[in-house]
Order: sequence, then structure tokens, then C-alpha cells
Amino acid sequence: MFKDYAALIVLLPVIAFVLTLFLGKKLYSGGALLPIAAIAGSFIISLGIFFEIYPDGIVQQSIPWFSSGISQMNMGILIDPLAIVMLLMVSFVSLLIHIYAVGYMSHDPAKSRYFAETSLFTAAMLSVILSDNILQFFISWEIVGVCSFLLIGFWYHKPSAAAAAKKAFLVTRIGDVLFLAGIVMLYVNLVKIINDPANAFEIGSGNFILQFKTMFEAIPLIDKTQLTYITLLFFGGAVGKSGQFPLHGWLPDAMEGPTTVSALIHAATMVTAGVYLVARTFPMFFNTPATIMTGVPDSLLIVAIFGGFTALFAATMGLVMNDIKRVLAYSTVSQLGYMMLALGTAGAVAGTQAVSCSIFHLISHAFFKALLFLCAGSVIHAVGTNDIREMGGLFNKMKITATTMFIGALALAGIGIPFIDIGTAGFFSKDLIIEKSFEFGEKTGGWGWIFYGFAILAALLTSIYIFRLWFMVFTGKPRSERHSHESPGVMTVPLMILAVFALLFGFLHTGFFGYVETNFELMGVEIAVHEGEVVHPPIIIVLLPVIVGVLGFLVSYVIYYKRMLDMSKIISSENPLYKLLYNRYYEPKIGADLIGVKLTHDVVAQSGEFIDRKIIDGLVIDTIISNTIFKISEIIRKLQTGVVQNYASITILGVALLLVLLKLKLGGI
Amino acid sequence: MGLYSYLLISIIIFTIGVYGIITQRSGIKILMCIELLLNSANLNLVAFSSYNDDATGQVFALFSIAIAAAEAAIGFAILVALFRLRDTINLDNINILRW
Repeated sequence: MFKDYAALIVLLPVIAFVLTLFLGKKLYSGGALLPIAAIAGSFIISLGIFFEIYPDGIVQQSIPWFSSGISQMNMGILIDPLAIVMLLMVSFVSLLIHIYAVGYMSHDPAKSRYFAETSLFTAAMLSVILSDNILQFFISWEIVGVCSFLLIGFWYHKPSAAAAAKKAFLVTRIGDVLFLAGIVMLYVNLVKIINDPANAFEIGSGNFILQFKTMFEAIPLIDKTQLTYITLLFFGGAVGKSGQFPLHGWLPDAMEGPTTVSALIHAATMVTAGVYLVARTFPMFFNTPATIMTGVPDSLLIVAIFGGFTALFAATMGLVMNDIKRVLAYSTVSQLGYMMLALGTAGAVAGTQAVSCSIFHLISHAFFKALLFLCAGSVIHAVGTNDIREMGGLFNKMKITATTMFIGALALAGIGIPFIDIGTAGFFSKDLIIEKSFEFGEKTGGWGWIFYGFAILAALLTSIYIFRLWFMVFTGKPRSERHSHESPGVMTVPLMILAVFALLFGFLHTGFFGYVETNFELMGVEIAVHEGEVVHPPIIIVLLPVIVGVLGFLVSYVIYYKRMLDMSKIISSENPLYKLLYNRYYEPKIGADLIGVKLTHDVVAQSGEFIDRKIIDGLVIDTIISNTIFKISEIIRKLQTGVVQNYASITILGVALLLVLLKLKLGGI
Repeated sequence: MGLYSYLLISIIIFTIGVYGIITQRSGIKILMCIELLLNSANLNLVAFSSYNDDATGQVFALFSIAIAAAEAAIGFAILVALFRLRDTINLDNINILRW
């Protein structure tokens, strides 16, 4: 029964967006209730659909949209296990963050704009998730990008926020262009396949050309090299959206928006769209040829390389940031790297299990990262600054925030007890990814081990930076004279709910894996998984993720709680490594100043201006076209004498001439 | 009197009107000449109507007269407004709409 209302999952927040935008100011609390009710509705419908289709049903609804030639495009809904778990996560986390925002944004004059935009964002993200074709996916993806732009620049009167919004928009745009190029290339290939009678490939009735189902069915017929290009272009889109190296720079800058936006968009939902794209089109990635490394499809290897590198790369920067939100932002980039790494490495060793592996981490990350961000928001709300050097000693004043944030930190660091399977969400999800990268190393040998190195080192750094953050914020002596207090209940209750999920979500892992793994089979896509012999990693490997997690905790405890090490020597502008990290590997310099200002503005834009102003406007238009026309019109305008009689005479003359011509033409008297 | 005599009178009136429009400088005279043109056309309509034994032309002429009255009213109103503004209705002096 809920299935019939699947479209409402997207439409409810859209309606809330329109109503809040136009009527929000007149409603209670800036119209916050409408989006909350709408998203709660989406969540309830998603939950209802989940119970209806579990364990082996899917929902497919499609209507034709437009057609050109042989290709019919459609709009439609596909809810399979992959989509439903994402739907539940996005609508639930979004709901909690909206409730939290009622408290967090209570002093903001533009509340109705805020709630309208987040509502539209949620609608777009839900639409990304349940798209059944890549075109609708792309459109929703773009709306998500626009909302991100609007929300990062929510406080647009701040120049830094406006700049961050612009940067986010432009950087993700690079990825979007690649993604679109991938779609075009895929379309061209599909049309070629359908037109070739040798293939005898037909789109079944009720199916459409750019539907995921059709795409997957056509995989064996697509030229292998082309498939690699297509998937790499898709991955380019994912790199932009999910903030992977080298397009990661926008994500930490995006922290200029309200903290709730950071939690909603830049931690829990939007940035995961890139991972979701790769997971959604995983059969295509999986079927690319293995030319670089035996047994590893090229595209998956590249996904793993970018993901693994980003996981470590971003974690190093997280170590030195002093802005509480920036630390979390780099942590997000790093964890997104883990998800990509999971898709790449686990894809090579375990086929479609990689999708469940990655999505499991995605969802557990959404819970604990939303929690961490909301805690950070609670702290910022209380002390009025983002700088962790000015915080300290907040534990006694903000017990709920401190405790829930500690739970979030434990989950991020992946703390748990191996062998008896008790632990936080991150313990189950992240450790599995690390184990898979170990298996990958076992399978390929050689430099395949590098991924395990990335994963385990990043895990150590993750644990260090998150506990450093916690100790610096909540322990020690207050480092500034600020009057701080615990946040109101509307903010702390979502924290507690998220903390419960961050603690307990991991226990769902058996059911989750069993369910999501069947995803592509339910869609009727055959994926040959080469089952290798089951690798039982040595005890030390199973233990190592937890060991490094605890080690990171101890390191932070010693340095930032006990203060046994004097950090001032290390943290100085003299230390080249610190300088490199603190300046974020000079990414803003290279990205914004060199590429943005020097190359784009000074070289390309300036020469464009020269051509436009001097050659086209100056030479062609001014001297040739404009001057000629001007001279001719100088002569012609003299005809306008302004004397009525002249006009009358000419009119009569004209009519007389017309009559004469008519007479000549018709003849007769 | 046949059709031709009516047409002949019509032509004469029309020509007088055209001549007046081209040569006269006073706004009122020009308006009067325009009335002459209209009336010559009306005469034509009535003449052909009677010749063809068809009442349509006469009905049309009535319309035309009504419209001519309205047009004259507007024309004189414009001239009055112009006179208030410029103290003249000599069209030689009213030629600002030019190059």
C-alpha cells in the first residue's frame, strides 16, 4: 500500500519547499514545521515500503517522459535494497537535523529561507536515491548541487561564505561536467548497440534507454575500452561530489554555512551521492577489463587508488586544523575515501559485496558524523566561536553534548571489542573495509598492499585527530572567558537519538549485508563473482584496526589531556611538515590562486576579454559594422522632416503608384 | 443621374481634400480636408450601394460617419491641447518629431 505513494517521498519535501519559501515568514518558527512534517512523511513512507518489500521485493514505477528517435526517456522510481536503506538513512538523519535546526537557527532572521532550502535539498537527495534512470539521477544531482551552493552561502553577506559557495559550486561543476560527458558517451554506445542488428538487443516493453536496468543489460555488448572511459567519467562526477582528491578543497571551505547545513549536506547526505553513484553503477565498474593489475577491473583499481589516497591525505590535514568544523570536514573527506576504497578493493575481492560494505560504512558514517557535527554545532552555539584553541573545560557545562560527542568519536575511531562483536557503528563498518583491503593485498600482492597501508594509517590518524578535538574542547581549563551553557532540549534530543544509532547501528551488520548483497540480483543483473578461496586474515590483522584506534586515543590522551608533551615546538611555522599540513598542502593556493586567479582569470579570462573588447568589439563591430551603418543612417534620417504635409504627400504618392501598378498588372480599363 | 455623376462628384471632393491636406498649413483646415476625403468615400459607398441594390454599403456609410465624428473630436482635442502648449496650430512650427 505504501508502494503506491512512493513518489510522495520526493514530492512532500518539494511541496514543503514551495510553501515555506512563500509563506514561511508568516508561520510558526519560520515555517520549520512544514519541512519537518514533510520529511517525517517521507521517512514513514520509506519505512512502510521497506516493510512491504523486505526481503526480496523491489518497487519499479516508470512513466515515459519524452522520446527522440529510438530512444525513449522516462521518469521513474526504483526502490531496491540499495535505495531503500539510503532512503531510510537520508530521511531519518535529515529529520533529526531539521528538528535540531529549530533550536540552532532560532536567532537567525532568515529562518524560512533556511528551512525552504534544506527541504528542497532533502527532496533532491531523495530523488537522486530513487531515480531509476541516469538522466533523472543527473538532474536531481544538479539540484543537490544548487542547494549546496545556496546553503553554503546562506550567510551571503559574509565574503568568506560567498567565496566558499562559489568555490563549492565551481569545483563540483568540474565533476558534473565529467559525469555528463559519461552519460553522453554511454548514450551514444547504447544507441549504437541497439541499432546494430547483429546484437539483437532490444529494450523490453516498459523499459527505457537510460534506465539502470537497460544499462546493466547492455554491459556485455559495450566495447570494453569505452566502458572503462564511461565508468571513469562517472567516477569523475563522484570525485567532485564526494570531495575526493584532487577536488576535495571545496568541502572544508563549505563549513562557512550554518553547522546544521554542514551536518546535513557535507557529512551525512549530499557528499555521499558520489559514493552512491559508484555503488549504483557498480556492475559497470565491475565489468571493466583488467589491464593494469590481474584480476582487478581497471576502474575499480582507480576508484581504490583515489579513495585510499584521499582517506590518508585528508586525515593528515585533520590533525592540525584548529577550526572544530574543519577537523570534522577533513574527517568526512577521509571517511568518504574509505567508502571509495571499499568499493574498489572489496569489489575486486568480493564482487557486489563491495556495495554493501561501502554503503554500510556510508550509513554508519552518516549517523556518527551527523552526530559529531551537531555536537560541534551545540558547542559553537554555546561558546560562539569555531576555534578549538579558545574552548576547553566544557565538559562540566555541557554534559550531554560532551557525552554524545564522545560516543561519536568512539564510533569514528572504530572502537569495539573484536571476536565477541560488540562495538560502535564504526567498529563494524570501518574495520571491515580495512580487512577487505588486506584481502586485496593478499590477492594481488606487490603494490596492492599499499591500500592496506593507506587504510590502517588513516585509521590511526583518524583516532588521533578526533580525540585531540574532544580533549581540546571538553577537558582542561577554559581558555577564554566565555559564558557557555548546555543547549536546549530541541537540540540535545536529536543528539541522543543519533548517539544511540552511532552506538548500536553496527549490530545490524549481518542482516544488512544479507539484504543489500541481493540488490543487483533482484534487478535481474547477473554479475559473475569470482569466488576465490576464503581468506582468513591472521589474528593480528583483525585486531590491528582496534589497536590503532586505541593507540590514537592514548596518543591524544597523553598529549592533549595530560599535556606530557610540549607541542609548541612541533606546532610552529618553523616546522616544514606542520606548515605543509596547516596550509592544507597548499591546495587553496594552487586551486584558488594559481588555477583560479592566475590561470583562469589572468590568462584565459584576460585574453578572452582582449579578443572580445579589442578585436570583436573594437575592430569588427566598432570600425566596420557600426561605422558603416552609422554613416548610411546619417543620410537616411534626413528623410524624417517632421513636416506633416511631406508625409501626407508621400503617402498619397505611394497609393497612386500602387494603383498604377495594379492597373498595369491587371490590365483592362 | 447615373452612377458616373456620383463618382465624378466623389472624385472632385477627394481631389479637393488631397489638395487641401498638402497645401494648407493650419491644423484645422487639414482636419476639415480629411473630413472631405472621408465624405467622398462615403458618397462612393452609398452610390455603389444604390447601384447594386444592396443595403450593406449604406449601413457601412453610417458606420463610417460615426467613426469620422469620433475621429474629428479626437483631432480637434489634440489641436486644442497643442494650441495651449505652443500657442499656435500652424503645422510649420510643429515639427519636433524629426531628425
